[in-house]
Amino acid sequence: MRLKSLFAKVGVWVALGAIGLGGGSAVGQDKAPILIGHYGSLTGSEATFGQSTSNGIRLAIKELNAAGGLNGRLIELKEYDTKGDPKEATNSVTRLVASDKVSAVLGEVASGLSLAGGPVCQENGIPMISPSSTNPRVTMVGDMIFRVCFIDPFQGQVCAKFARENLKLTKAALFYDQKAPYSDGLAKEFRKAFEKLGGKITAEEKYTGGDQNFKAQLTKIRGTGPEVIFIPGYYTDVGNIALQARELDLKVPLLGGDGWDSEQLGKIAKQAIVGSYYSNHYAPDQDDARVKEFIAKYKADYNGATPDGLAALGYDAAKILFDAMKRAKSLGGKDLRDAIAGTKDFPGVTGSITIDSKRNAVKSAVVVEMTGDPPTPKYRATVAP
Amino acid sequence: MALLEIAKLNVHYGAIHALHDVTLEVADGQIVTLIGANGAGKSTTLRSVSGLLRPTSGDIRFKGQSIVGRPPHELVRMGIAQAPEGRGIFANFTVAENLDIGAYARRDQAAIRADRERALTLFPRLRERIRQNAGTLSGGEQQMLAIARALMTRPQLLLLDEPSLGLAPQIVQTIFHIIREINASGTTVLLVEQNAHMALHTAHYAYVLEVGEVVMGDKAAVLAKSDAVRKAYLGVA
Amino acid sequence: MADFVQIFVLSITAGSVYALIALGYTMVYGILKFINFAHSDVVVLGSWVSYTVAAFMFSRLHVDAEHPPLWIGAVVLLAAMAYCALSGYVIERFAYKPLRRAPRLNVLITAIGVSLFLQNCGQLTPYNLTSQGDLRFPFGASPQRMPDLLGENMSNDDRVMWSISFAPDANGYAPRVVVSKIDFSIVVSALVLMLALEILIHRTKIGMGMRAVSYNFDIAALMGVPVNAIISFTFVLGSSLAAAAGFLYALAFPGLNQPAHEVWVLLGLKAFVAAVVGGIGNVRGAALGGFLIAFVEMFGMRYIDSNLRDVYVFAVLILVLLVRPSGLLGSPEREKV
Repeated sequence: MRLKSLFAKVGVWVALGAIGLGGGSAVGQDKAPILIGHYGSLTGSEATFGQSTSNGIRLAIKELNAAGGLNGRLIELKEYDTKGDPKEATNSVTRLVASDKVSAVLGEVASGLSLAGGPVCQENGIPMISPSSTNPRVTMVGDMIFRVCFIDPFQGQVCAKFARENLKLTKAALFYDQKAPYSDGLAKEFRKAFEKLGGKITAEEKYTGGDQNFKAQLTKIRGTGPEVIFIPGYYTDVGNIALQARELDLKVPLLGGDGWDSEQLGKIAKQAIVGSYYSNHYAPDQDDARVKEFIAKYKADYNGATPDGLAALGYDAAKILFDAMKRAKSLGGKDLRDAIAGTKDFPGVTGSITIDSKRNAVKSAVVVEMTGDPPTPKYRATVAP
Repeated sequence: MALLEIAKLNVHYGAIHALHDVTLEVADGQIVTLIGANGAGKSTTLRSVSGLLRPTSGDIRFKGQSIVGRPPHELVRMGIAQAPEGRGIFANFTVAENLDIGAYARRDQAAIRADRERALTLFPRLRERIRQNAGTLSGGEQQMLAIARALMTRPQLLLLDEPSLGLAPQIVQTIFHIIREINASGTTVLLVEQNAHMALHTAHYAYVLEVGEVVMGDKAAVLAKSDAVRKAYLGVA
Repeated sequence: MADFVQIFVLSITAGSVYALIALGYTMVYGILKFINFAHSDVVVLGSWVSYTVAAFMFSRLHVDAEHPPLWIGAVVLLAAMAYCALSGYVIERFAYKPLRRAPRLNVLITAIGVSLFLQNCGQLTPYNLTSQGDLRFPFGASPQRMPDLLGENMSNDDRVMWSISFAPDANGYAPRVVVSKIDFSIVVSALVLMLALEILIHRTKIGMGMRAVSYNFDIAALMGVPVNAIISFTFVLGSSLAAAAGFLYALAFPGLNQPAHEVWVLLGLKAFVAAVVGGIGNVRGAALGGFLIAFVEMFGMRYIDSNLRDVYVFAVLILVLLVRPSGLLGSPEREKV
């Protein structure tokens, strides 16, 4: 008799304990963390892109978690290094979606890598937000793919306008990375816009990302007498190109896109890049309250480092994702997707962000100039869409 | 104690047992010859003495010391030189350079120069062609060069692998005459030959090698008269 | 016209680097009759060790970064050469020597293995060797910037050594031929090294030993040449030259790509082509091949299409292999008497 009641008592406690600790119970699930994924190039030739984006994302997560998370649930980040390689990008996203089972994916920066990772998200019905891929094809992969930055047709126009109207130059040469969809696409957009504004392209030369010796092409460019050289490439290559151009006594200013945005550019090119310009998503010395606030927070968390455009976009992308998660009916793929698509006038560091029907962001761009020692970007102009 | 003693030497090329318990001696100051048919193992014996081949078992003693397992360049320094089969001269070097490389292991500059002089006196044809590329020399001249080059190491024991190979009888006579001269001035010679006639005529002592085994060993003059040798190697029915 | 001269100048610079690397391939092939595929990774090692030592010296010695003393460059170069020489010795001793008498295919595969090993180890996360964190090894997976051994923050004019201007053309543009200080340093250094090698090989005893061993191991051994020692020495020599090439390359292109980046493989491959075109196993051929390949690449890029840079190089390889397989200075089928 006593044994039976003992068994019964133990049984009740065990049952209650099972309900309390059981992973599948309704009560327990509300407090489990929300998993989001990030895939970026944390190493390799574009390492600062992935690292900065990661810093921005983590800052946003930290803020949200400090304020109690999303409906009491903390955000947890799963992150993989793409090493700048499209194959690794696909693998990373597959792991995030299939094995880590994240609710959403942030990434990538380089358009070529977003194009490699996007289809995996699309097939699996998980929304993906690219913080900084600017090639138009990225969001054309499917309705699950978004971006919070402008696209290259706009960026090309920005650069062309700046060259014609601000710098008042008529003759430009193109020198771009034929292997990177970003570089190839942006060069074409620039040509279209520049010629439409009455400019003339004197030469079009190509290189392959990672090349070291650009002097043969630069010699050819030099011979056509351009007033500016448009180099829509990534910072490691651009740095080397700038140095070699100056070694060939080619003194004209260089112009580029957001692929230049890295502290490594000034480190590699040093004085050779001073007096050159590039279009970007924000400038650290912009006179804007949100920018200043963000920079202060970033510096506090990251040893006094100044955030670059990638960090700002990573931050904005994460915040837009959280905002959508708050508004969404559920965290399931389709509901979350719809919420992201409904983002309107979101106050981001990189401007007021609205996601349009093509899942791209409609925003302004800034043009910065590399000046000083060591060379850093300084705000020069804003161009609205 | 003989200058060179080979005791029960066994050498394999992979699974092929090339030398079976070969035992022979080379007395100091003599010309000893090893005769036999093609493939009998004569070159294998010389290569083993020079350290190019590692025997499976058995011993090789030079001046009483076992030399098995020592690297070839060390044996050269100890006093063993070889003019290899097929001459083995460096075709892209000049005659002069071939002689120079013979003296690679030596440092005594004055003595090297003296030996060079002696070699060129011994082989006047080489002196005529001293600046020519060795590859342009005739067969006989190349053989002379191979021997001269071996002499540049100032050896106590000179190993000659088939010096008559591919040469006209006239030249062969000249070469063997020179071999006798070299021996007369104090160098011991171990001569491996297919041309049994010249070999037995020149040597003091001789061994016969058949399919990797030593089947006969006696004074050369004695072997030259033996019926078995005459039938098998001297072409006498 | 000005462009022609400019490209000529650039080819000499690029050719110097190719030649130095090609020499390593050809010497090892001449002696051991195999292609050391890990050779290009020794070049990478040379570049990255140069970077590590230079960064360390700049940090510790409080040099005036704008006018660093020239001897720092010499120290960096020697450190890189010493490190690579040691690596070459170790690789030969432990990876290739045991396979000395094995079929050539085995040691070729081993070479590929060594290459992959060096690449991947090179990209491991750097470990701080000093408490200040200014000496780190290995090199990590991201590019780094080689310190300017000729002076940081040189103005653009300072970079130029000689500049010849031509008369302005119809567009008002005055063509120029420019030789930069870096270009000049590279060519002079490379020529000095190649001259030293030539003297070593043809005028010294050890050079004679190298030539003998590359003709025939066994016969050289019969002459009293210490074959193993000569082989090790050849590897050490080839690796030192690779280190020098890596150092000069890092000077010319200071944004160093990470060790496993394909641009290094392509560099080694083109240098290998240079060695084959010149006559694999022939030292003078390798030098000639290096310059020839550079000329073909640069002139092709300037006057035909800059897209196809590597295609020109490999086209030359195919042509040479069809028409004269032993290479320009190679002897067709050595006659062994």
